[in-house]
Amino acid sequence: MSRITAIASNTLLELVRQKVFYFMLLFAAIAIGVAFVASGMPFAEQFQVLKDAALGATSIFSFLLVTLATAMILPKEIEDRTLYTVLAKPVSRLEYLLGKLLGVYLLLFVAMLLMSVLFFVALFAREQLVIAATLKDYGPGPDGEAAVAAVKAAAFNWNLVPAILIIFTKSAVCAALTLMLSSFATSWIFTVMISVVIYIIGHVQPIAREAWLAQSGVNPSSVMKLFLGFTSLVFPDFQLFNIVDEIVVGNAVPGWMFGQVFALGLGYVFIYTLVGYIFFSNREL
Amino acid sequence: MSEPAISIQHVTKVFPIPFKRERVVAVDDLSLTVEPGQVYGLLGPNGSGKSTTMKIVLGLVTPTAGKTEIFGCDSTRVASREQVGFLPENPYFYKFLTGFETLQFFGKLCGLRAKKRDERARELLALVGLEGAADRRIGGYSKGMLQRIGLAQALVQEPRLLVLDEPTAGVDPAGSREIRDLILGFKARGITVLLCSHLLEQVQEICDRVGILHRGKLISEGRLTDLISIENQTELILENASPELLAEIAATTAASGARLVGQRKPQQNLERYFLDVTGGNQ
Amino acid sequence: MKARVLGIAIILVFGAVRLPFEVRLEKEQRALHYHGAKLDLGMRQRLSQMGFVAALSGFRAVVATVLHIEAYTSWQRVEWGRLKLTYDTICALEPRNMQSWDMAAWHMAYNASVAARENKEQPRLALRLKAEREYFKLGEDFLLRGIENNPDHALLFERLATIYRDKFKDHEKASRYYEEAARRPDAMQYVHRFAVYELAKVPGREREAYERLKALYEKGEEERLPTLLRSLGELEEKLDVPKARRLYSPPPQKP
Repeated sequence: MSRITAIASNTLLELVRQKVFYFMLLFAAIAIGVAFVASGMPFAEQFQVLKDAALGATSIFSFLLVTLATAMILPKEIEDRTLYTVLAKPVSRLEYLLGKLLGVYLLLFVAMLLMSVLFFVALFAREQLVIAATLKDYGPGPDGEAAVAAVKAAAFNWNLVPAILIIFTKSAVCAALTLMLSSFATSWIFTVMISVVIYIIGHVQPIAREAWLAQSGVNPSSVMKLFLGFTSLVFPDFQLFNIVDEIVVGNAVPGWMFGQVFALGLGYVFIYTLVGYIFFSNREL
Repeated sequence: MSEPAISIQHVTKVFPIPFKRERVVAVDDLSLTVEPGQVYGLLGPNGSGKSTTMKIVLGLVTPTAGKTEIFGCDSTRVASREQVGFLPENPYFYKFLTGFETLQFFGKLCGLRAKKRDERARELLALVGLEGAADRRIGGYSKGMLQRIGLAQALVQEPRLLVLDEPTAGVDPAGSREIRDLILGFKARGITVLLCSHLLEQVQEICDRVGILHRGKLISEGRLTDLISIENQTELILENASPELLAEIAATTAASGARLVGQRKPQQNLERYFLDVTGGNQ
Repeated sequence: MKARVLGIAIILVFGAVRLPFEVRLEKEQRALHYHGAKLDLGMRQRLSQMGFVAALSGFRAVVATVLHIEAYTSWQRVEWGRLKLTYDTICALEPRNMQSWDMAAWHMAYNASVAARENKEQPRLALRLKAEREYFKLGEDFLLRGIENNPDHALLFERLATIYRDKFKDHEKASRYYEEAARRPDAMQYVHRFAVYELAKVPGREREAYERLKALYEKGEEERLPTLLRSLGELEEKLDVPKARRLYSPPPQKP
């Protein structure tokens, strides 16, 4: 365990010293820009747009961050021969792989924490401005209080926290997937491209699955069926993680639904790590 | 009788070439033994299978056939690496770490406790003469400094065996000499060393025993002195000899039936000259 | 080689294991009306539609945000055609965002229609009224599509009913959609009354409306609002209910 944490913290340190967190400036710029542009809209829509943009940006940034960071790890370590010095110590390949993955997760955690804080600060600041303006319009009294309550209901919603956790889970799955790909890939560009392609296919996978299970697709030829079945079994279903959209719109998502999605994500991470380990342990270095 | 430090038995490694029917035999039925306390030089031209052999010993590559052991422990097992320190060829470490942090990191990998790790890191930095650069990032180290931090890293868990791949490649003569002295120091402390090199002169200076690999086969092996001394010749080195004396020796030699093969002024070797001139031998 | 086969086998087995779980989870999510309504389109058409969303997934929210801003500028510049097209895209991107459908319909039925009727460049009233009606229809169309995607909420039903009431003056449809809205758990308190008020204005259904108004009246004080009483009175007059059985007595006429 101490070896895994040593590798994990070393990986995080590497990414931090490579200044990957500078992308946060871009994120902050988006949050501020959207808050500024949205200020002309009716308040309900304003918060909506802000939440939508912030969670959307969090989702993209965390996907790009983990995919790029993970895809670089193995090729870079092999090229720099740092891998040899590490594995020549009493460190098993499983410990090495888990350490690297954990390091990426630490990075993801820190990055998402920073983004969430920025987002909540922007949301809170906007809320305060809108409340001040509302109070000025209505003056004190029950009308004003009701209006402020309406503003508060539209702004922050506790469901946003699980939404961020779901984004984390989805990105964690993407990281494990990328690590698995890079355990046999020979260049990081290949890994990144395949990751992005799988990410996109993962969003249309349910269509293939449905057509396959329906057994009466538009094209019942056996080649087509084989293709649909292969797609359904090999590719992940990322659409199931898209309950974030519901939360942005303000719909309630029951706790058991969150639970199932987390469990599914955990399953993906486990399987991808396992397969990645099998590939990696048989790889000639 | 103690166990051998390294035992390689009938090891063969075949690399298939992807998308082709051909295969490359990198190591061909290799057997050799390194006894504890020896400095063993593995020699061979580029592509002779030295690096693959070393990677097999370290468990980085699985042999196609055969078996290797380190102090009796199978190389494919993680535990075998507790006794080994490895210095790869042209080592690169994490550039974003300082020298001190690098040793800390490898100490953690070897399971050293925090206090012990600190002590060990300081001690090793002093040993390889890098105390002054302890807090500088590795990215700014010179070749020689990298090689030295590499040695320190290899020693972090006090292994009984060191595996060094071209330890002086790309290092200037002064640095090279320091590394050579360090290796002789390890030998004095009873550490077994497996050294891979194609710099024959260096091997000659420090190794007890050498093996020569060619196309994956061990073509010659033995004690260095046995391998290179010419049994029926003797060298005489004289100082302030007059031409008359030399003529007399030549005549006596001919009279005794022996043959004078050559007569020349001994030359200082270039390395020594370089070190004298640059003052690097102090 | 062996490792590759093993790895692929694990992925396939995992695919088979997760299949029933994911199918069930998808069903449960659909039951909660996620991912928009399941449109009964051909496979090819759905692929292109979903592909569009997937390619943008993640980026989707950002694109929608930019489009919201664009829609806002179009409105300020009174460019109705562009406004409609923008909202078409926004709604396709976020079918579960009721605010977007609502805003789109409101712009069409209330803003664009008024602008069309008051168009100074069209001297002929008949043509201006025709244009106005076309915008009503566009508003209706947005809400119908929105309802397809959000059948679990009252908001869009209510908005549609209001358009039928105020714009099309189609009281039967208005009543029907208020009724639908009232069935949703998040309906406003007043919509069930609105449904009956509208029914009262449909020729031939006065009796039915009267019975329902009476039932509401008898529920108690909190239902006896001025509009309800007035509507009750009008129907009692129309249906010629004997004075003794009337529930509503008009306030004494002041001279």
